[in-house]
Amino acid sequence: MRKVAYYKGCLASLSAKELDVATRALAPKVGLELEELESVTCCGAGDIHEAEPDYYLHLNARILAYAEATGTDTLMTVCNVCTLNLRQANHALKGDEALLARVNDNLVSVGAPAYSGSVDVLHFLWLVAAGEGYELLKRAAHRGLQGLKIAPFYGCQILRPSKLLGFDDPDRPESLERIIEACGGEAIDYPAKVKCCGFPIIQAREDVALAELVQPIEQAKEAGADAMVTPCPLCHLSLDAWQSKLRKQTGKDFQMPVLHLSQLIGVAAGLSESELKFKRHVVSVEPVVEKLAV
Amino acid sequence: MYDVVVVGAGCAGMRAAIEAYDTGASVGVVSKLHPTRSHSGAAEGGINAALGNTAEDSPEKHAFDTVKGSDYLGDQDAIEIFTAEAPGDIYQLEHWGCVFSRNEEGKLAQRPFGAAGSPRTVYSADITGHVLVHVLYEQLMKRMEEGSLVVHEESFAWRLMVEDGRCVGVVCWDLVRGGVKLVTGRSVVLATGGMGRIYRATTNAYSCNGDGMAMALHAGLPLKDMEFMQFHPTTLYPSGVLITEGCRGEGGYLLNRDGERFMARYAPNALELASRDVVSRAETTEIEAGRGINGSVLLDLRHLGAEKILTRLPGSRELAMTFAGVDPIYDPIPVRPGAHYMMGGVATDNWGATELEGLYAAGEVACVSVHGANRLGGNSLMETITFGRRAGRAAAEHALASGRRGEVSDAPARDAERDLAQLLSRTDGERPWKIRDELGASMLENFGVFRYPDRMERQLELIQELRERYRNVVVEDKGEIFNTDLTQALELGYMLDLAWCMVQAGLAREESRGAHSRPADFPERDDERFLKHSISRWGDDGPELSYEEVRMTRWQPEVRTY
Amino acid sequence: MKVALKIWRYDGATGEKALREYEIEAPEEATLLDCLDIIKDRHDGTLAYRKSCRMMICGSCGMRMDGAAVLACKTRMAEIAASGHVPVISAMGNLPVLKDLVVDMTPFWQKIRAVKPWLDTGYVEPPEKEFVVPQAEMDVIHKESLCIMCGCCVSECNSMEADPDFLGPAALAKGFRFVGDPRDRATVERLQAYSDEHGIWDCTRCYFCNERCPKGVDPRDAIAKLGAEAMREGIDSDMGARHAKWFVTSAKTTGWLRETELVPKTQGVVRSLKEIGFAMSLLRRGKVPPPFPPHVAKDVDEARQLYELVEREGHEGARGIVQLEKPLARLERHEAGYEEAAARGPYGPGSFPKPYLPGENESTEEGAA
Repeated sequence: MRKVAYYKGCLASLSAKELDVATRALAPKVGLELEELESVTCCGAGDIHEAEPDYYLHLNARILAYAEATGTDTLMTVCNVCTLNLRQANHALKGDEALLARVNDNLVSVGAPAYSGSVDVLHFLWLVAAGEGYELLKRAAHRGLQGLKIAPFYGCQILRPSKLLGFDDPDRPESLERIIEACGGEAIDYPAKVKCCGFPIIQAREDVALAELVQPIEQAKEAGADAMVTPCPLCHLSLDAWQSKLRKQTGKDFQMPVLHLSQLIGVAAGLSESELKFKRHVVSVEPVVEKLAV
Repeated sequence: MYDVVVVGAGCAGMRAAIEAYDTGASVGVVSKLHPTRSHSGAAEGGINAALGNTAEDSPEKHAFDTVKGSDYLGDQDAIEIFTAEAPGDIYQLEHWGCVFSRNEEGKLAQRPFGAAGSPRTVYSADITGHVLVHVLYEQLMKRMEEGSLVVHEESFAWRLMVEDGRCVGVVCWDLVRGGVKLVTGRSVVLATGGMGRIYRATTNAYSCNGDGMAMALHAGLPLKDMEFMQFHPTTLYPSGVLITEGCRGEGGYLLNRDGERFMARYAPNALELASRDVVSRAETTEIEAGRGINGSVLLDLRHLGAEKILTRLPGSRELAMTFAGVDPIYDPIPVRPGAHYMMGGVATDNWGATELEGLYAAGEVACVSVHGANRLGGNSLMETITFGRRAGRAAAEHALASGRRGEVSDAPARDAERDLAQLLSRTDGERPWKIRDELGASMLENFGVFRYPDRMERQLELIQELRERYRNVVVEDKGEIFNTDLTQALELGYMLDLAWCMVQAGLAREESRGAHSRPADFPERDDERFLKHSISRWGDDGPELSYEEVRMTRWQPEVRTY
Repeated sequence: MKVALKIWRYDGATGEKALREYEIEAPEEATLLDCLDIIKDRHDGTLAYRKSCRMMICGSCGMRMDGAAVLACKTRMAEIAASGHVPVISAMGNLPVLKDLVVDMTPFWQKIRAVKPWLDTGYVEPPEKEFVVPQAEMDVIHKESLCIMCGCCVSECNSMEADPDFLGPAALAKGFRFVGDPRDRATVERLQAYSDEHGIWDCTRCYFCNERCPKGVDPRDAIAKLGAEAMREGIDSDMGARHAKWFVTSAKTTGWLRETELVPKTQGVVRSLKEIGFAMSLLRRGKVPPPFPPHVAKDVDEARQLYELVEREGHEGARGIVQLEKPLARLERHEAGYEEAAARGPYGPGSFPKPYLPGENESTEEGAA
């Protein structure tokens, strides 16, 4: 078992609880022992980075410090946005002694641990798409996906900027495909799989966001996908919950089920409905479940 | 009809356009590139003005360094105007928002440069030309909003329009839409830049083909000092892109294959910061003596340390890493001399006025002459600004004083259309690239850093051969939209004519001065016979050569050592 | 080496499109631009593309290789050629194509001009000499001043694809070049203008601009700096700004996002009421967590106190983002062999010898090793 500090972020605590539940249930099957961080806050989702950049830096330093305090060298995320925000702060702190010293002074003065810079921030996807995690995943996914056609959707902030993320080739990523195939599914290829779902502006500029959102869903549908899978709960929320708005806007009813990455692997690994919580999805996952039951 | 037409939109052209506009003229800018694509943007190291921000300095010192650097061929009255007005022009650029580097006091930082008696090169890390081009285009955009400044971008100016002994505009090929168009004005300012592409190894952009010089030449105007092509000592091997003199200004060393700082044997006082002609000759001597590596020497920055390289020379590092696979923090950069700057050009007075009424010139296309036989690093950007401004002012005043004119004849358009149709109708013949490549390679071989009489003779013959072959070139693209196949063929014709002027003037200058070096037959400077400018005019049988006195004020020629 | 390329040809006069394959012989060090030159010279003179400096500074040769915008002059071909992959070259995106690889840059420049891209010193009479400004204050706009206006960021901007009127990454980065300039006196007017419907808050944070920029400008970060400055100046009525501010409020009160309140806090109560039907559909699936009792992070007091502390320290607005940049500047992708050079250092074993002056006895021992 590899012990990792688990930072679930806001959405997996709230509207995307199913992601948290599935991840916890799946973790031991892929060799991960999760130590959940409790004394942590939101990473700022890019919004605090913009509204109060110095506060963003401190909040993320604090998360990193608490992760370090668990004695592990890995902070595991389950969200693209958390991944980028934490990695960006981590990189800045590790690369600038004066900055780290100032932030640490502040952390200590409010009673938080100081951060020495020993933690690496890794998304769950990266832990199971290569190395030991991948080997365990192949074994765990015994139930398989029976040739189900899955459209991988990466989202933005797990690919770009690649100088901060760097796991996948930002234009030709393959980690999700590897996992889909290891689980016995068929990965669908389509151009919009690396593009934006529109989520960051879905409230402030809904029309613009929907014009982005329609692309991956429409392309996945046309390519014959049974479902989409994404490593990001924010992408999940827009792909799943805002699909109904696309129906109003485009007249097309896509009815495209969207799975969290942990759920997709979870299905292949034989997790139960209580561990997958498909009922929490807006677009029914029933057709997928039915296909698999055959 | 505009009051002023500016041809070319690099630093000199944009500065001229701004000044003409601010003087009250309506301005049309014609450029074969979008202005920010101009090659001024590739200038790196800096721009010289005696601000005295880092150490004591004065316009007089700047003038003396420039006169000495020119090997006493520069016109001293022009140089004195230049160095006196430079500081004010720098402050103007700063007030417009130019992003210059700062010293500890927050004033404009100044770095040492070759053959300069004081650190007087104002800079922006190593992208000085880039920030200048962008600040000038910002000021251009501001005036475009107001309406009476128009930029005809991607319009290839090809011929001057001359009517009743006055220049009244230019004939252009519209690259975007195709077709000939006339852009007419009461005054015309040429600011088309240099012609380094005549050489195979050059720092110059693909667009530096001497268009303006050739247009003037064929309109009967004199070109001055065309034998003086500057070879920059540090152009990257193999691509030829510029690595700034700022690298040496910041303390970089030049090494031969043994690691020896060979400049100590050629310029014991100034070492790497000797004048460019001196350094390029030293490098060539080392390479020819077998002490080079792959026909190059090495520019060593390692001792400067990562911090200085990252903050002062990041662009040079990026170039070395991208084009030579070398990170200068860890390894020396392979460099060699390459064609860089034409000291000569269209002869003008101190206001940029040429012999033809209504025609002005500024920047590299012009020869005032500030640079004489060898230009100092950092003086060319300054020249574009100071003399761009002066030419813009003079052109506007001429236009505003000359009153309304009737319509000009559109016969030049008919002529151009006929000539282009003839060129485009040819379907059999040679593609231009072979002629271009042979010209480039042979100029480097026969008219490079060192010049020998037999090779120059051979080069003159070869140019005749190439000109003969050029009469039969074929343009494959017959279309209207973005036909660069056509414009590149026209540029090649220009370059062949200019090369002829250069070699002819070089063969006739029987001395060694500045960038013109004849080690075998005339190794010394000969002030008695050649303290004068060469003048090339196009005659019935090609260029005809004559000479003109150098304008001296207070400095008599001395032995020039560094 | 042999290089094979597929090029999307486009004839602006007839509207015809065709994918043509070329195979050429090129020198080992050839860039994509060098290869296009060889094609144009020796194989097909009708191929159209822009070029000038061939040294990554003029910004002419932006185009797409396998769908990703690049500068042709910066793209070395040896590795691709050796891999056997035949890349597809096409014109940049989000701009109309004129011919082959040449796009119409007019819309690009219109947006640049729309941000009033010139220094406005207001009523301040400039000093006799230069404005005196510490280098540290100029460093705030360092990255934005590197922009060469090549359009690679715009080519792949996801927001601009969805909203063609979006000012876009290049224009907004240019805008920050002035907002961040201590000599500029039009900051508030600029921030108000850039906060319009198609401005700062239209950015969807897809980070394609940062990924594609060949000069390290990182336009998305410039947009964040504009947002930061806008909010610092109290120009925060746009829904995008309200959205961002709610995250701060959430973090310093409960520690976690107060998700359910986000919609009314962003869109206002009236507008969010119109969304009630949509909200109900989410509510049924548990997607609308009840705001009471709030989900409060453990030790959230620390986060609250940190907020107070940070407020007092004054690293606010764009400067708070700029302070993160120094270490980021070193994150570059390097040529093969770089790691090796970095490991041995400038004078380590295998390095070029230490320099010496003529007459000095060769280089020192360790240098020659």
